[in-house]
Amino acid sequence: MDANTLLLGLVVLTALAFDFTNGFHDTANAMATSIATGALPPKAAVTLSAVLNFAGAFLSLQVAATIATGIVDSGAVTVTVVFAGLVGGLAWNLLTWYYGIPSSSSHALIGGVVGATLIAAGAGAVKGSGIVANVLVPALLAPLFAILVATLGTYLVYRITAGVPGRLRTRGFRLGQIGSASLVSLAHGTNDAQKTMGVITLALVANETIGAEDGTPFWVVFACALAIGLGTYVGGWRVIRTMGKGLIEIESPQGFSAEGSSAAVIFAASHFGFPLSTTHVCSGSIMGAGVGKRLAEVRWGLAGRMVTAWLVTLPAAGLVGALAWKGTDLIGGAAGVAVVFAAAVVFGAGLYRASRRAPVDHTNVNHEWTGTVVPTREPVK
Amino acid sequence: MIIDFDALWKVLVAGLAAGAGLVAVYALGLVALAARAAPGPRHAATALAVACFAIVGAGAACGLYVILAG
Repeated sequence: MDANTLLLGLVVLTALAFDFTNGFHDTANAMATSIATGALPPKAAVTLSAVLNFAGAFLSLQVAATIATGIVDSGAVTVTVVFAGLVGGLAWNLLTWYYGIPSSSSHALIGGVVGATLIAAGAGAVKGSGIVANVLVPALLAPLFAILVATLGTYLVYRITAGVPGRLRTRGFRLGQIGSASLVSLAHGTNDAQKTMGVITLALVANETIGAEDGTPFWVVFACALAIGLGTYVGGWRVIRTMGKGLIEIESPQGFSAEGSSAAVIFAASHFGFPLSTTHVCSGSIMGAGVGKRLAEVRWGLAGRMVTAWLVTLPAAGLVGALAWKGTDLIGGAAGVAVVFAAAVVFGAGLYRASRRAPVDHTNVNHEWTGTVVPTREPVK
Repeated sequence: MIIDFDALWKVLVAGLAAGAGLVAVYALGLVALAARAAPGPRHAATALAVACFAIVGAGAACGLYVILAG
């Protein structure tokens, strides 16, 4: 096996690992509210979401072999830059998962690539205005839009159904929640798996394994669909807990209006070509569902910490991406990539082991929120 | 600056119409369902419930079409 094949193999593996974390990090977006309100049992929720993510990945009609378009100079994106960018995104995804913070996987990947490009090709290859327009402004607007839509939706829902008997209301909205959460899951598979497909296709083209005009090979589509589906199934329970229990105490009418708002904003953004992050939209919708119900409480301190994490995503993933590129470059060649890959594996394994010391899983995800991701005591019956 | 304000307000309007609007229509459907259980004419309530859920279903189908075709 020559150096190029090894390099390509490691890049593909890293991309699939990123896709996997993309899946489990974002399970919460679609399913946190359904799990919190009891619309679906936790295991059933992640299974449904996983199947829809898997199916959604196959439904993406065109895979663009581009990464961070309009943000970095496409000529500067080498296979090593892609690899370092993936490592940056991967590291940030794992770290935020450990702390139970929902953060955008796309922004993490973009951050990693920007960081790697900065150090590999210099500041000239990074388009500052592109970062503002495609990353920073959407990161601020997405939650605001979602809060607005979900606040109005929640207010209307409670106003309209005030006279509906409690049992019918709860059951009706739980059903609606399952439907709207399914839409969000499907859209997630369609959008996010496509990004990894694009990254792998790009690496294959750069390595001249396939021609620039060739479509994405089927095995790439299948592997990406499988990775995001499996990741979703494993479930990022820590993030699910923060979104479902941490932000607000959620009832099924709120869960329904939050997921409905998320689905609508995501679909609209995707249709009109405005790059909103699913994570930012879904978090905003849940906050809005808290604002829209009278006397409901939104834990703004936690919301503030989340927004801070969103603003830090780009520089933090960028820093790791830059370090990963530098490390790869210093050691050189396939050996450099292998060493950085090994370091990433060690980092991931370390966080996994740390998480096992106080696990959050389907058994305790709904325990009463006492200010921490890991439940501090048994639920009050 | 290359922020696409045109796309921006379209996202907001479509998001409000579909996100808050369809959610409200669904709620209206539940009200109609509850009215069916009450004494009085049931046909009107049934028709309203069916209409509401059909509108919501059509909205979801439209959304799916939009992301899959786009």
